[in-house]
Amino acid sequence: MSAALPLSHAEQQQDDSRALLEDALEHAAHLLPSQPPLHAFVHHNTLHAFEDDDFDRALLKAASLYGTEPYQSEQAFAAHLAQGRIDSRDIEAVLAHAAGGARALWPDGPACAQLWRFRLCHAFETPAAETVAWMVSEGELFADVHDAVGVSARAAWLTRYPSRRRLTGALRALWQQLLAAAPASSPPRRGVRVRDALLARADVDIDEWIHPMMIRLAGAYLDQGIAQVGMPHRGAGFLAAVRTLHARPGRLCERWQGGLADIARDHAMRDLDALDTVAWALETLGIPRADWAGYVLHTLLPLKGWAGMFHQYATNPERLPVRNVPATLADFLAVLLTLETVAIGYALGQADGLAAHGTAAAVVLGMTGADAPAAAATAQARPDLGAVFEAFVVAQGLVLTAEALRDTGRARALVDAVYAFDNLTRRRLLHAAYERHYRVHVLDSLIAHQPHCRDEPARPALQAVFCMDEREESLRRHLEELHPAVQTFGYAGFFGVAMSYRGLDDVRARPLCPVVVTPRHLVEELPLDDAAHARYQQARRRRGRASNFVRTARDDALRGSGWALLVGTLKIVPLIGCSLFPRAFARVMHWLHDLGLERPHTRLRVEGSGKIDPASGLALGFTVAEMTDIVHGMLATMGLTQDFAPVVLIVGHGSSSLNNPHEAAHDCGATGGGRGGPNARAFAAMANHPEVRARLATRGIVLDDATWFVGAYHNTCDDAMSYYDTDLVPATHARALNDAREQLALACTRDAHERCRRFESAPAVLEIDDAMHHAEEHATDLGQPRPEYGHATNAVCVIGRRRSTRGLFMDRRAFLISYDPTTDPDGERLGALLAAAAPVGAGISLEYYFSYVDPRGYGCGTKLPHNITGLIGVVDGHASDLRTGLPWQMVEIHEPMRLLVVVEATPATLEHIVATRPGVATLVLNRWIQLVSVDPASGAVMVFEDGHFEPYQPHSRDLAIVESSMDHYAGHRQHLPCARVRQEVDHAV
Amino acid sequence: MLSEPLSHVAAWLVPLLVALPVAAFVAILLPPLFGRAKSEAWTYGLVRIGVVGATLLALCLAVALLTGIEVPRTVDAGRWFAVGHDVFEVRFGLDGLGLAYGSFSLLLVALAAAFSRRYLHREQGFHRFYALLVLFAAGLALVCFAGSLDMLLIGWELVGISSTLLIAFFNQRPNPVRNALRAFVTYRACDVGLVLAIVCLHVGWGDADFVRDPDGGWLVLPYREGAALGVLAAGALVFAAMGKSAQVPFSGWLPRAMEGPTPSSAIFYGALSVHLGPFLLLRCCELVQSEPWLAATLVVIGLATAGHGALVGRVQTDIKSMLAYGSVTQVGLIMAEVGLGLHLLALLHIIGHAGYRTLQILRAPSLLHDRHHLEQMLGHHVSHAADLDSDGHRWLAAPAMYRHALERGGLDALLADRFVGALLGALRRFDRCEQRCASAFARAVLRRLPRRRARAGDAVEKAHVS
Repeated sequence: MSAALPLSHAEQQQDDSRALLEDALEHAAHLLPSQPPLHAFVHHNTLHAFEDDDFDRALLKAASLYGTEPYQSEQAFAAHLAQGRIDSRDIEAVLAHAAGGARALWPDGPACAQLWRFRLCHAFETPAAETVAWMVSEGELFADVHDAVGVSARAAWLTRYPSRRRLTGALRALWQQLLAAAPASSPPRRGVRVRDALLARADVDIDEWIHPMMIRLAGAYLDQGIAQVGMPHRGAGFLAAVRTLHARPGRLCERWQGGLADIARDHAMRDLDALDTVAWALETLGIPRADWAGYVLHTLLPLKGWAGMFHQYATNPERLPVRNVPATLADFLAVLLTLETVAIGYALGQADGLAAHGTAAAVVLGMTGADAPAAAATAQARPDLGAVFEAFVVAQGLVLTAEALRDTGRARALVDAVYAFDNLTRRRLLHAAYERHYRVHVLDSLIAHQPHCRDEPARPALQAVFCMDEREESLRRHLEELHPAVQTFGYAGFFGVAMSYRGLDDVRARPLCPVVVTPRHLVEELPLDDAAHARYQQARRRRGRASNFVRTARDDALRGSGWALLVGTLKIVPLIGCSLFPRAFARVMHWLHDLGLERPHTRLRVEGSGKIDPASGLALGFTVAEMTDIVHGMLATMGLTQDFAPVVLIVGHGSSSLNNPHEAAHDCGATGGGRGGPNARAFAAMANHPEVRARLATRGIVLDDATWFVGAYHNTCDDAMSYYDTDLVPATHARALNDAREQLALACTRDAHERCRRFESAPAVLEIDDAMHHAEEHATDLGQPRPEYGHATNAVCVIGRRRSTRGLFMDRRAFLISYDPTTDPDGERLGALLAAAAPVGAGISLEYYFSYVDPRGYGCGTKLPHNITGLIGVVDGHASDLRTGLPWQMVEIHEPMRLLVVVEATPATLEHIVATRPGVATLVLNRWIQLVSVDPASGAVMVFEDGHFEPYQPHSRDLAIVESSMDHYAGHRQHLPCARVRQEVDHAV
Repeated sequence: MLSEPLSHVAAWLVPLLVALPVAAFVAILLPPLFGRAKSEAWTYGLVRIGVVGATLLALCLAVALLTGIEVPRTVDAGRWFAVGHDVFEVRFGLDGLGLAYGSFSLLLVALAAAFSRRYLHREQGFHRFYALLVLFAAGLALVCFAGSLDMLLIGWELVGISSTLLIAFFNQRPNPVRNALRAFVTYRACDVGLVLAIVCLHVGWGDADFVRDPDGGWLVLPYREGAALGVLAAGALVFAAMGKSAQVPFSGWLPRAMEGPTPSSAIFYGALSVHLGPFLLLRCCELVQSEPWLAATLVVIGLATAGHGALVGRVQTDIKSMLAYGSVTQVGLIMAEVGLGLHLLALLHIIGHAGYRTLQILRAPSLLHDRHHLEQMLGHHVSHAADLDSDGHRWLAAPAMYRHALERGGLDALLADRFVGALLGALRRFDRCEQRCASAFARAVLRRLPRRRARAGDAVEKAHVS
């Protein structure tokens, strides 16, 4: 047919379809998970693709697209109500906020708000239509007032209908009335793919054929080094490699694959590229062009993890662990659709009754054309019993009898109102109430704490800068509690040093800065003594080669047998060790590992002339001017411009654990999922640099010999601290540093103790001395799926001076960023700070939100069956879609809420920032974070709602006062309210 | 003098050893049956009693045997049932083979139980997991300490069912259930071999008891001259062992079995369950070796499996499948060793392989961590395929060969598509044929029925619709 058309027309059409498919692919790629390979895990908003939409609307859109849950379940909210996590004031507040609540259902009838209140406070389960029908026919529904209605409503019914018989009669009458007004049940949703039609009609699921094969092929193609033999011809692209593999029919292949070889050969001969292949497949399947975009998207979604990883390979090759593989989403789709076409062809030939239809298109048309009206007609005839059931219970709850609803218009109004206030609407409001409860508590606590704010110690003994991370909140609090003369600060954990870093042991450099920043500087760790380094490397290489030999030998047939016969039985020793004495075993192994290995002293090559390294294309180190800017930027933003302590610690953080494919997810988000120690070390080196100090002095920050910066690293999993370049510390500061180390060691113990209360494996009352052991065991145990709880429970971000939160117990739930509004009159620094920190904080909080509310749809489910594949991700068990998001063991104690960002700045400053910084504006205006302003001068609190700041009135000025943090949390496992720690505040005076 | 009472005690230790995990299994399951939820500590306490108790008993017996204390080789704990001449005794057996494998296995189960205490903490199926684990321990003990093939069969089935249910541990997802079904069907199909062997032996020789082999000191199924059924029994036993130990062509279920929590995958498919095939054949070595061609077949099957596992394992891109094929390879070699009559070597190989493979699977989730450290030590990336288009294994990198390996030798297609598919097709045809006959018959009958009946039928149908 196409031959009859003028050539130019055919070409034109081909170009059109290519453009169409390119758009479709771009759109689909946007909606796929954007998680990079696991070793480079960075928290990000799971629904980043929907950020241009309002939070609630985006949730609903995503829920209908992916089939996921937007909020916690109604039962979960019911439990929160029962436990007082949501109270009646929260419900009233959200009802007052919802439009249309005052409208009466009918003249003189109950108000909508009344109905809504009942539904929010009395959750009940709606049985399936069949169950309802059965309950009606058995009369069970009319035997008694429904359990969900309140005590008073029940009493009202029983007084009106004292005998059982009359009650039953009244309920039955009510049911009949509501049934008469019932809406028709909606027909079930049907997928858009031919596969869905085939499944519905012939009970054949071709996804069960093509997906296992697709997963094998995709896994083989993307593999970064698990398989000993890689897929041949990977350099030519996925589509070409698959065509080469399947160019000949296999002797032993699944039957449906029979037609694949001919097609693969034919396509290879015609030199069809990915888009042509997709177009061919869609045309063969008979999909109308108008539906192509949707068809492409819905074909990719069932394998969205793998598809997303192909896209990641194409767009972010620098994040791959080992090497670049030329993968594109178009290739993935082309292979998938080729397989689909082959499978559908086979299924049509096989399934009885379908062969007559001829083509796939006919099957689809058959589904939508012939059957659809009939199906719709039968649905029309059937009333939606679920809706009637809900209206029936609501009527009971509002004590609306059959007489009250005699007018059918009223029954209809009731049923419609109940129907409109559907599950998702209820959960949206309950979620708002849930968030409000916590928001009120935190803001009230901050306000109640205000009069007790004390200025920081005038001449601090130690200043320590930590990451903004909410896991450092407790460490800072304990440090201040133990040593009131200590002053702490919080800043994004890369400390302004955006670099690509290569440690002494690293195979290649990796970026250590927020994901949104592209590093332009390379910093390397270099040994001081080359001879010592050579010895060290030699010993390590030897050991590395030995363990690599063992590793490969075990999986080999003959060497594996030798291994089994020689040492296999002895493996019972490490088995006993890791099962029964995990911590001691880890220590022994560590000791054995370090035996005879002496790591040479090193320095970071921080300073550079601005010369570009030809290999990496990055500048080697930072120039003095750049270093000055970095140091000045951070110190000025935090307001640390004078009164320096003898020692200023810069503490980066990271986390090391076993049995944890998601290890990198516990690292520092501000360094792009890396460990922030080198950043702290580099910053300290910069701040100690004499020329930098000289230049700083001209800009108003005078650093003299009385102050020394020391970089340090905090392992948040086992609460160990390590310090860098201590040999450089002047003798005059040695004592101060020693004191600082002791103080931090003690604070770390307390921190571990506070952390352990969340682990059910630790006794509720844990001796403080056992806390470190317990934390260490979690980090080194091969059988421990919860090395730490990471960012779980994060909820607040306070940006401002520490004085407003110092002495306030915030339960490790608050990101704390030091910002001094007095040095930033025009809000420029705050703008930059928010633009960098808000996406990081929101990304973390939202990723936890989604992985918690739908652990299977958004998260990656339980860790226990996870199986690492290709060194890039995990699958469930033997084979599945690549699982993205967070595992349940990481998020199980989280409270899913949007981040509450409290900023010490005037509303005008914040409004200006929102108006000028698009990144911040998206998050704030589309309500992905909650923004609160605390006036730096007056302390007045304003909450950003509906596009403007509204004054906030505290509900209670009560704030628990405790002697110490430990008094507050001891013996508790649950989330704790804020409290003022007396000990610290009093000491600080 | 001393050994008399000791041996008397030892006689009762063996049944006790099997009874302990069974008792723990019952005790774990009873409270939930009556709606009482128990704490993790309670369940784990029961597991400790059941599994650690059994392990200690087994180790005691092993020590007794090693130190030369006279222990009874068979213990009759009573009669199970009798049909005509065939008497089924509840008979336990005690020998070096059973004790070596049994005590090592129970020790591994006990360690896995301790390990899983932390691993499965707070998991929904915690109690179910441990119930199945102790059931597995009971089955394993019974296999190792059975005094006859009849008793061994019970243990064999317990191992099979607990293993199937643990594959389907995450039963909310379809894949684990589907793969558990595949393992179950393979197990059941091959168990027919064991049952067939028992029937043959009973018919041919009247019993299937193990007796002490005068050379090795192990209990073995004796070969008696003059029964053609013996050959059939031996073949059936090899068939049974092939399924349990994932030999070609039944290898496909093993990687698919990696659906449960990691510790259960480690001890079932890395260590214990897969080795039961060679264990069974060691018990029945006389019978298998009585026919040279059968022993040769066993060697061929074992070597074919080893080759298959080595080939397929090289291209697997997920760590658990790779380890599963590593197991397939080693078990294949062990089978070949059994076929060659290298019994002691096979036993040592089993134990050594079980030891290191368990640890390897337990460490699998730390792969990224370990790989990172290894690369730091080596100073370069660990990668066999150095560049994308060519690598060291040229013969395997040929598309046809690679595809053969990636598709796992087409064994799944062979079994599922060709064999089971054909069977199901035949059954479906029978079904259709039967339906046609039945409806033709029904039409013929209905035509002759009085109208009243038909109306009654209509009424029922109407009520159903409304």
